[in-house]
Amino acid sequence: MSKILIIDDDLDILETTGSLLEYEGFQIHSADTVDKGMEMIDRIAPDLILLDVMFPEKKTRGFEAAGEIRSKYPKIPIFVLTAINREYAFDFDKKDVPADEFINKPIKIDRLVKLIRNYI
Amino acid sequence: MQIPRLGTKIDSSEYTDLTRVVSWFILLRWIAAVGVLVTLVFVRFRLGYPLPYNLLYSLTGVLCLINLLFTLYYVVIKRKNLARRELAVFLHVQIISDYVLLFFLIYFTGFLENPFAYFFVFHIMLTSFLFTSDIVLIYVSSLIVLFIGAFLCEYFRVIPHYLLGHSMDPGYFRLYLPRAIGLCATLAISAYLITSIKRRIAEKGRRVEVELNRYKELDRIKSNFILQVTHELRGPIAAMNGYHEMLIRGIGGKLAPRANELVHKANRRTENLLQIIDEMIDYAYMKSEEEIQYTKTSLNVREIIDYQLDIHSGQAIQKNIELVSDCPEDLHLHSNRDLLNIILSNLINNAIKYSPQSTTIAVNASAVTAGAGAAGTVHTDKEAAGAVHRGAVHRGAVRTGAVYAGKEAPEVHLVVQDQGYGIEPEELEKIFEEFYRTRKARELERDGTGLGLSIVQRAVESLGGRLTVYSELNKGTTFHIFLPAGGENEQNSDH
Repeated sequence: MSKILIIDDDLDILETTGSLLEYEGFQIHSADTVDKGMEMIDRIAPDLILLDVMFPEKKTRGFEAAGEIRSKYPKIPIFVLTAINREYAFDFDKKDVPADEFINKPIKIDRLVKLIRNYI
Repeated sequence: MQIPRLGTKIDSSEYTDLTRVVSWFILLRWIAAVGVLVTLVFVRFRLGYPLPYNLLYSLTGVLCLINLLFTLYYVVIKRKNLARRELAVFLHVQIISDYVLLFFLIYFTGFLENPFAYFFVFHIMLTSFLFTSDIVLIYVSSLIVLFIGAFLCEYFRVIPHYLLGHSMDPGYFRLYLPRAIGLCATLAISAYLITSIKRRIAEKGRRVEVELNRYKELDRIKSNFILQVTHELRGPIAAMNGYHEMLIRGIGGKLAPRANELVHKANRRTENLLQIIDEMIDYAYMKSEEEIQYTKTSLNVREIIDYQLDIHSGQAIQKNIELVSDCPEDLHLHSNRDLLNIILSNLINNAIKYSPQSTTIAVNASAVTAGAGAAGTVHTDKEAAGAVHRGAVHRGAVRTGAVYAGKEAPEVHLVVQDQGYGIEPEELEKIFEEFYRTRKARELERDGTGLGLSIVQRAVESLGGRLTVYSELNKGTTFHIFLPAGGENEQNSDH
């Protein structure tokens, strides 16, 4: 069973996205901070990571985390989750973020599953 | 030399005015030269005054020559494009040369006897209009010194007095001293009046500018606030949406049919709320348009249409609406991704909302040239005009042949066509107005900002495209959008 790690500080998002993906047949691990998530990657070796952007400590913590994860684990696909659904609202260039996909919240689960299947 | 304050305040507009002033000066100088020549000929052959005509003709010739040099410098060498400092220097050179030439013309034609001596007043007014008071003061005092000096020199026979007429007025010096003082006073007073009026206008301008900046700042704060709030709102909605999805899938236990129906209803309202929030975000952004840079990239149209159909599929399935698409796989558009998504998302969303169950919505795209696209719209327009219950509205620039590089501009033609309830002909004109919702829309769907289509229209305009809508009651509505395909040799500078 493919393992997916979700890193998001919103516990409700962890619960709903986690449950919906579990229902679709994935094994889900969740972390509510980037640090916990980084620690879990080593331990569980996920096949794919869903990563939120905004964390309480920093608005763009997720982008930094994506960079850290990519440099340490270059093979794990990273999907960045963001509530900001317009490129012009970003304070950064999408090209600078090493994410394989950008997923808008609320997540359309069917679409997410389809995208995940493209990677694992 | 102190740099005159040229266009430092309301920069561009004042600056353009000044470059126009230069052209105007040059034109006036040609007219003045002709005027001087005609007057000289008249005075010589009609009045027969004994004036040093050859000298005066030469002075007129010098005036023409100088003006020719000015024209060459300004039009040919600088192509009417001077830096602010150059422009200031150029204006000073022109003013000084005008003063000197006018002085000699007046001096050799009777000096203070000559009524045209008062032409200096116009010159001083123009100078005061262009420069700050300290510079004007220098000009005025130099002129006064020049006048009084020349007058005294004439008095003490250091320089000769050239007569205007046949014999010397015996009372010239006694009579003309007050006239010299009067002229000097007139010069000083005109300079004072013009500079102080100008200062008052500038003060008012500054106050307006301060106010304007304050309003701009407030507007920016307001826009930021809306953006902040709306982005924050997306978080809780995402969670709500997730829980609804869980319930619908029976993750919390199988739902009774009634409960299932209720959850669907709750979910629909949540989707509506999300739509409203997105419209508010887009609206807030577009209202502060001058600050956003819509970066254009090469977009695969088919991918974007597929993405849009994908995210709307859930909504469509609930109404058993079929979403179909016809778009060449390699159709590309050099445009802004957000705006294209906004256009398609709003139109598809509307099509789904305002179509009955079990109908079809088509989203098609193709490459056309601007000319072909326009011909197509004219044809359909005629067709539309013929039917009573049909209507057509065109928006955006009517560019029947956007031509660049000698060719007709390639465009991408997007079509969003539904088999929905249609729009009343008398309402069709209004659907692009901000906050306008048709009667049918209000009847069918309680929620809605009425901003969707005005956002679409703005987005299409921002991309330099145009938009046409045809609608027939109970048959359906079709939106045609033509966007410049863009590319490397694109000359469209909308953004």
